[in-house]
Amino acid sequence: MKNLRLLLPLIWLTFFVASCNDDTSGPSDIPVGEFEKGVLIMNEGAFGVNDGEVYHYDPSTGVIKEDIFRTKNSRPFGGLIEDMVEAEGRMYLVANTGKVEIVNPKDFSLLGGISLGLNITRSLVSVNQKLFISDWGPYDAGFNNLNSYVAVVNDLNGGPIAKKIAVSSRPEGMIVAGNFIYVACTAAKKYDVISIASETVAASIAVEGNPTRFLEIEGRLFLYAQDDNNAIFHEINPGNYALVRTVKIPLANPTPIVTLGEGSELFIVTSTGFPDYTDAVAKVSVNTGQVINGSFYTGSGLYGIGFKIEGKEIYVAENNGFQGKGSVSILSATGQKVKTLSVGKGPSGFIFK
Amino acid sequence: MVFLVVFMFQAILNQEVKPVMESKVVNETEKTHQDTVALSPVEVFSPPLDKYTFGSTIQNISESDLAIFQGLPLSDFLQQRTGLFLRQYGSGMLSALTMRGTSAGHNAVFWNGLPINSPSLGQSDFSIFPVGGFDNASIHFGSGGALYGTDAIGGAVHLTNKLKFGEGHQVRIGSVFGSFGRWNQQVEYSFSDKKFSARTRIYRNFSENDFLFRNITKMGTPIERQSHARLEQTGAMQDLAWSINPKNLISTSVWWNETNREIQPLMGSNTIDFQSDRNLRWVLDYFHFGKNKVWNLKSGLVRDDQLFNNSFNQTIQYFLAGDLDWEISNKWNSKSGLRITEIQGNLSTYQAKESRVELYQSTNFRPSERLGFSVNLRQLVFEGNLAPFTPSVGGEWKVWRNESHQIHFTSNLARSFKVPTLNDRFWVPGGNPELQSEKSWSAESGINYLFKKENFELSQKITVYRMKVDNWIIWLPKGNVWSPENIREVHNSGLEYGLEANQKAGEWDLHMKVNYAMTRAINQTDISENDRSKGNQLPYTPLHKFQSIIMVGKGTFSTFLNYQLVGERFSGTDGSGRLDPYQLWDLGGNCNWSIRNLNGSLGFQINNLFNTDYQVMPLRAMPGRNFQLNLNVRI
Repeated sequence: MKNLRLLLPLIWLTFFVASCNDDTSGPSDIPVGEFEKGVLIMNEGAFGVNDGEVYHYDPSTGVIKEDIFRTKNSRPFGGLIEDMVEAEGRMYLVANTGKVEIVNPKDFSLLGGISLGLNITRSLVSVNQKLFISDWGPYDAGFNNLNSYVAVVNDLNGGPIAKKIAVSSRPEGMIVAGNFIYVACTAAKKYDVISIASETVAASIAVEGNPTRFLEIEGRLFLYAQDDNNAIFHEINPGNYALVRTVKIPLANPTPIVTLGEGSELFIVTSTGFPDYTDAVAKVSVNTGQVINGSFYTGSGLYGIGFKIEGKEIYVAENNGFQGKGSVSILSATGQKVKTLSVGKGPSGFIFK
Repeated sequence: MVFLVVFMFQAILNQEVKPVMESKVVNETEKTHQDTVALSPVEVFSPPLDKYTFGSTIQNISESDLAIFQGLPLSDFLQQRTGLFLRQYGSGMLSALTMRGTSAGHNAVFWNGLPINSPSLGQSDFSIFPVGGFDNASIHFGSGGALYGTDAIGGAVHLTNKLKFGEGHQVRIGSVFGSFGRWNQQVEYSFSDKKFSARTRIYRNFSENDFLFRNITKMGTPIERQSHARLEQTGAMQDLAWSINPKNLISTSVWWNETNREIQPLMGSNTIDFQSDRNLRWVLDYFHFGKNKVWNLKSGLVRDDQLFNNSFNQTIQYFLAGDLDWEISNKWNSKSGLRITEIQGNLSTYQAKESRVELYQSTNFRPSERLGFSVNLRQLVFEGNLAPFTPSVGGEWKVWRNESHQIHFTSNLARSFKVPTLNDRFWVPGGNPELQSEKSWSAESGINYLFKKENFELSQKITVYRMKVDNWIIWLPKGNVWSPENIREVHNSGLEYGLEANQKAGEWDLHMKVNYAMTRAINQTDISENDRSKGNQLPYTPLHKFQSIIMVGKGTFSTFLNYQLVGERFSGTDGSGRLDPYQLWDLGGNCNWSIRNLNGSLGFQINNLFNTDYQVMPLRAMPGRNFQLNLNVRI
């Protein structure tokens, strides 16, 4: 008690001194984490080497920090990074080699992970303090994935899988809207709807094209799909998961690589594929259903794209044949190359903060 | 670009003594047939591999060198006991040899004179060549396209069986027991008289391969037990030789080898892959010994079946070859030959047939006892396409020689090539039928120093080389499809050093071997505007590899301490993805014993003595400290 009596005045004194500080800028009192600002660059890594890594780029200084996961945690990520999702104050690094690592987005220090029971993991959403993870499931003899699922983990910091919800083949992107989790199932050409309340599939709806991800465009929910000649946007009523309408934009060889620009404009990577291999970035408008510019940017090995609202810059990731490091071309709003960054192997996505 | 080279004593023997030895063997064979009293063991004739290799570096690996590796992969021996580096994708998993900074497909591999690289993959997996599936191995360092044909850009490896006449009945049993459920068992029976020799060998090699490793891809980097890496290998060999008369000899060998493996997943990965390799190799040789001439007619078959999960790939190669090796005079030797190869590929995504014809000419010229030259020429035609014409010229000069010292200079200039593999051209999707052959120019020089005084022997060799490889094929992604292109040019240069020393001191024998390789393989091409590969070392090519072994023996006991150091490697072509260097120590002992009619050896060794945590390739776990017991019995 004697110690407490001595301590209390000291605590009061501390508060008093602190309250006298004339710096009233508020939130800046809390130190900004190392990676809370800038651009996080997801580098998928090369197959068979599993050297996925995350880079941080500070546009204001031009400084690039390499492999920030390894730097902070003193070990490699050790997987192919398929997706990078920030939610609930955590950063989820989803590896398609069957694991999720969970880090603090401020400094990338490890918080937890999921390493058992996953197969070919694709993406993740969180709702009601739970994680829902889309996974292709194992390959069968014909390299099909007929046992795809969404795994449920009852802890935001990972741990064991509580249950697996069987979904249509090859689930990719997901989104939480209303009372449902929407799952784009690319091989099945469907979107599955999971009821959050019952954690069961409420509906499975066939769509045109190969659906890959959901986009919120001007407050409306769209499912992006593509076939050989069209970029297809299916608008969904999030209240009852009904397909409202389909916008087909005639565009040759669209890929699943897409990012939302201003308004209803999107940037889509197109690729003629083998053998006449030409990649490009096309700019389209969902509202008009038209291609604004089919060759906004051309290159080879285009592997990811992002739109930085501040400055209206387009970040185009190029894999350089997975032979070594990839690169990122930063384009102006008019498509002019402003800068090129050397990044990790197989760069494929961005988070702008 | 010709450099100084030096040869080790062994290499000198290869160049100089061996051809003499071979002709001596023929003479002894003839003598044996004429003399019914003498029945001393005589090696069955086989063409000397190194006869037309003046100026080249060849390392011979004998049966006794291989003895303690019985049943283990040849890749383990090469990695631990030579200056060569193999890309080892896990313990007992795919092991690809790289020589002088070239790629895994840039070395030719022969079994009893038949090329056995897979025509679809263009390379061999050294992890499925068990020690015991052959008797000796020879390594030809550097380009050997003119001597051996396609693939021999960085070098060539020869696996050979050595039969003998006049040994009577013999039974040999070899066993290896080791950590992680290792049990290798081999049984051999042989019979030979002065005209006939037969040998049958069967083996089974097994390892649960469930070693402990630190999983660096998991939170807390826990120590885990490796799962899904079990290996099982079974095989049989049959050798026959019949000396019809002093002028005619027939020999044949068959080797069946089956390897079933669970493919060790990368750390942090949960893949469950299985691979089954079944390899059948058969060779038939007919030799006719004329006056100063040896005629050889060779035919053979190499069949490789590989099942990876449910994907089945098969290639069959049929060979018919003939050559004449002619001692024209004391100064001139000549060998002229023709080889026809028919290839059938039944791959999971395509079928292909290919015919290859190659003509070759080798000539040795020895203007004096101190000078020797080899000139080799080869032209291969595949499906009407001319592969690059490949000449080579090499020479050796005995600069100085007295009772204690010898110095030899050697030099060699060679062109080599590699025909694009069947997969390169025909794989669906992505195969590129327009691919050109990869081609190289290589120059090397060396110096060899030998010192011998009383009970001490020392030999040292140093070789420097430069090589330019062009049209190098790499597979690049074209959207979702990967396709090969002749895109890369690589300039290789390096240095190889070898030392061997022997000292006898009373009952004690001291022996030391050192190998060091410095390998620069510098990429000269960028594949795109943003590629930064040019000027960098090729991936998975250590700049430094050092290996040494010290052996101490007294009477029937011997011990050894082996050390290897492998320098840093990179997974990217632009110097990204660094892999740490590692050092490994092995310690062992051996005792030769004899009880009445039985004799043999008992050995014990500790591999990775200091339990070093290392990776040869990224995220491929390797075993820590492990133990091995060898027991060989001969009746």
